[in-house]
Amino acid sequence: MTMETKKKVSNFFKYLILILVGCIMLYPLVWMVGASFKDNAEIFSSIGFIPKRPTLEGYKNAMKGYGGDINIWWSMLNTYKIVIPKVIFTVFSATIAAYGFARFKFIGHDFFFALLMSTLFLPNVVLNVPQFIMYTKWGWVDSPLYLPLIVSTLFAQDTYFVFMLIQFMRNIPKELDEAAKIDGCNMFQTLWLVLVPVLKPAMTSVALFQFMWSNNDFMGPLLYVSTPKRYPAAIFVKMSMDADTGFSWNRILALSLISIIPSLVIFFLAQDQFIDGVTAGSVKG
Amino acid sequence: MKKTFTKVLAGSMAAAMVLGLGACGGSKTAETTAAPATTAAAAETTKAAEAAKETTAAAAEAAGEPVSLRISWWGGDSRHEATLKALDEYMAANPNVKVESEYGAWSGWQDKIAQQLNGNSEPDLLQINWNWIYQFSPDGTGFYDMNQVSDVFDLTQYDQKLLDQMTIDGKLQGIPVSSTGRVFYWNKATFEKAGLEVPKSFADILADGPIFKDKLGDDYYPMACGSYDRTILLTYYLQEKYNKAWVEDGKLNFTEDELADGFDFLKSLEDNHCMPTLEKLTGDGADSLDKNPNYIDGHYAGLIEWDSSVNKVQKALENPDDLVIGEYPADYGTPSTVYKISMGFAISKNTEHPKEAAALLEYMLNGDGVKTLGTERGVPASAKAQKTLADADLLKGMVADAAKASAANYVFPLSPYYEDASLKDSAEGAYASIMEAMSYDKADSHDLAKQMTEAVNAAEAQA
Amino acid sequence: MTETKNPGFFQSKFWRNNKGFVFIIPWLIGFCLFKAYPFLSSLVYSFADYELFKGISGWGLMNYKEIFETTKIKTAFFTTFKYAFMTVPLKLIFALFIAYILNFKIKGVKMFRTVYYIPSILGGSVAISVLWKAIFKDDGIINMFLGFFGVEGPHWLSNKSAALFIICLLRVWQFGSSMVIFLAALKGVSEDLYEAASLDGASKWRQFFSITVPLITPVIFYNLVTQLVQAFQEFNGPYIITQGGPRGAFKKYNMGLASAQAWVLFIILMIFTAILQWSQKHWVYYSDEEA
Repeated sequence: MTMETKKKVSNFFKYLILILVGCIMLYPLVWMVGASFKDNAEIFSSIGFIPKRPTLEGYKNAMKGYGGDINIWWSMLNTYKIVIPKVIFTVFSATIAAYGFARFKFIGHDFFFALLMSTLFLPNVVLNVPQFIMYTKWGWVDSPLYLPLIVSTLFAQDTYFVFMLIQFMRNIPKELDEAAKIDGCNMFQTLWLVLVPVLKPAMTSVALFQFMWSNNDFMGPLLYVSTPKRYPAAIFVKMSMDADTGFSWNRILALSLISIIPSLVIFFLAQDQFIDGVTAGSVKG
Repeated sequence: MKKTFTKVLAGSMAAAMVLGLGACGGSKTAETTAAPATTAAAAETTKAAEAAKETTAAAAEAAGEPVSLRISWWGGDSRHEATLKALDEYMAANPNVKVESEYGAWSGWQDKIAQQLNGNSEPDLLQINWNWIYQFSPDGTGFYDMNQVSDVFDLTQYDQKLLDQMTIDGKLQGIPVSSTGRVFYWNKATFEKAGLEVPKSFADILADGPIFKDKLGDDYYPMACGSYDRTILLTYYLQEKYNKAWVEDGKLNFTEDELADGFDFLKSLEDNHCMPTLEKLTGDGADSLDKNPNYIDGHYAGLIEWDSSVNKVQKALENPDDLVIGEYPADYGTPSTVYKISMGFAISKNTEHPKEAAALLEYMLNGDGVKTLGTERGVPASAKAQKTLADADLLKGMVADAAKASAANYVFPLSPYYEDASLKDSAEGAYASIMEAMSYDKADSHDLAKQMTEAVNAAEAQA
Repeated sequence: MTETKNPGFFQSKFWRNNKGFVFIIPWLIGFCLFKAYPFLSSLVYSFADYELFKGISGWGLMNYKEIFETTKIKTAFFTTFKYAFMTVPLKLIFALFIAYILNFKIKGVKMFRTVYYIPSILGGSVAISVLWKAIFKDDGIINMFLGFFGVEGPHWLSNKSAALFIICLLRVWQFGSSMVIFLAALKGVSEDLYEAASLDGASKWRQFFSITVPLITPVIFYNLVTQLVQAFQEFNGPYIITQGGPRGAFKKYNMGLASAQAWVLFIILMIFTAILQWSQKHWVYYSDEEA
């Protein structure tokens, strides 16, 4: 009995903390929902949730497109034309590169690893200018296939992800590989049949991050996509923001909300990968 | 569908133009004017059709040879819509020309253009900020020299003073589309509440401060100015009092004593409760007045803003009708407000079709596109466009009034480096740090004067 | 091609010792294609008096001299240090703590994880800075709350050090990504270990510090390095609350100065990472190493 009450009390506090912190995490989203029904004056003068003079203008205007070129739905479709290949390519290429770095020794291993890490340290801002000239020369700018945004992910160029998978892989006992070798697996089979199943939670995180970050990327598409009908949502959302003559914030907020719904759903669904991880992880290696 | 439609009509071009332009006249004029105007509109369209035919003939010497032009601009909704419509009309009238539009919001746009110019992949026609030409084309070779297409584009419609400002090393870098100047705006409801009329002079403002404090409360102020607005007010005061331009020959044109006098004046506005301190303004948690709750609900009853931004500051108020255009204070001499070319259009130096690009600009800025574009890029600088809009009764309302007021009250043109990032940047710029030193730390006016001279001269020295 | 025809190659000692190289070839090709040129050119530019559209007007150390002589740039570096050393530890501790709780099988755990990740999804959305300022303004919620207890709140936004504190708080609040990585790592810790430990009578906290933390040190190391890098690269970021966007040298297209700043940052980060890398052997346990 006492054990039971003790457990109940500890559970109560656990939930209390989770819910309190959760409210702070959730409030901005809640506020955005409320604010998307407010007019400008109210958005900037109150931080309450419930609009005093509710208006649907924001959502009505959010449905407007430009000259038949682009609207929110097309732009979201464009976003996924960029994001989905990026996610798939990244997961594949980063896993392969991480496997090479984490599991093998070869001539120049440490040098190449240092080179890999050094690409983390230089801010993208200075790389932008030479990169733009390079892509212009290759004729990739404004390509309908979004080449400048996607191709580099085929080559494991996001060091954050490669490094992450290296660290996770190094946490897997080498005995697993050796057992696989004894069973007759070659290098590729070892990676695919032995390491990948254990790495799944980490690979899911890589996929999630690439998904979210590419979704939010604004400067990349702004530089490399010029034709409005190819704009992704990150650009479309801001298209009516006229700094000089003013604009309706409720429309911007409505568009932002619509465009992040898929991200929320994906993140929620991806949780299953982690839950799976629990039971899978407890299976003895 | 639409494309085949225009193709069919291309054979009988005149008919196509009547249809296309008739449609545009229908949407814009029909709302404002009553039935009798329709006949006039119809007559106009035929006239317009003839004019359009002329431009086409002039532009495409080998008529029918297909030409493709890229054009880019930044802006908001209504500008995007109007421009797309005007371009569609142009394409219907000139079936051999295909215009591809690239447009978006201001945010990040300058970086995009800078990258494109640096990579020689910019569009044939681009909307630019006036001071960009000094940044992107310091020797006048960054953009196509518009003097070379003066046979297609009518430069005589523009004030020579404006063209000179767009010229570097004898090469005209772009067309000045419109100008804008700073205007005093007052919230008349708040002044009424204090039992006052809106101020007409600095003396009025200085007198109103204490009255606001006594009658309405400590948190009411006759006006509010951020650090950049304070710099503009300083410029206004000095240009008026000493009757000379802020910058002359690449040097700040005021002595230390004159500048110190200006800072003392700003301090007196703060001390007399005429404007909130920068500390208070920052504490309000808004990066511009139109987002500041104290401005929105009338606690701050006045501001100095660009005439082209009147819509923004007006719509921000709970009751937009409360905002009125103020008289320029003339306590110390002739008012000379801060006034600049707000926007231009340039032709790419890499374009293969300068003549066709110029013909399109002629259509947009002087010709038949003017009506469709209205005042989307400010009140046009072109005399012909102004007349077209005035005749069509499209030059009215606050925007036009504000533009008229500022145009009538400027004497000195602005230095292109006045808004240089090293000065204007809201976080790191010299204006911000100097004005903060004045407002937060009550720094000595002579020290401030020295800092200002040093910063402005350094920015000007880039030329 | 000729090598593969050689029947002995795949049996050779050379191949056996270096075969892992195959896996990094795609990355290496990518590096040469996409990174090498921008990398090298920025290094070269850092020694040039180079403004875009004006061209190169001289070579030398002028940019580095400017960095070490301009007080503004020095202050900015100093602020970045403060910012990084406040944000990174707080964020990681918080992320690990929450991840630990959310790793238990409790009701609604999926919901909680999603909610805790929301600030990171919203990222740099325009809405965030509007709301965040509204909370901390002079008559915002925080000061109203403090006023309720008779405390007069500070001017959070106009006081420079308070403003830095708020930015740190904003970054800590966006701890979602670190949390997700920790969650993924915690999944790798076998439940058997916990079971064995609880049979030994170890408390939950003892288990956390003596089992969980040591087992996920490689991932803690990862988060430490990448968060540090991120914090430093937000060199311009601390102004996000006043106004976003690239600033200073970048804004003025002064390629030389911008590149030099980037390379100074590069050196600083390299030193920090080297120190961390060296410290690894004292606190990071890799399962792939012999004990």
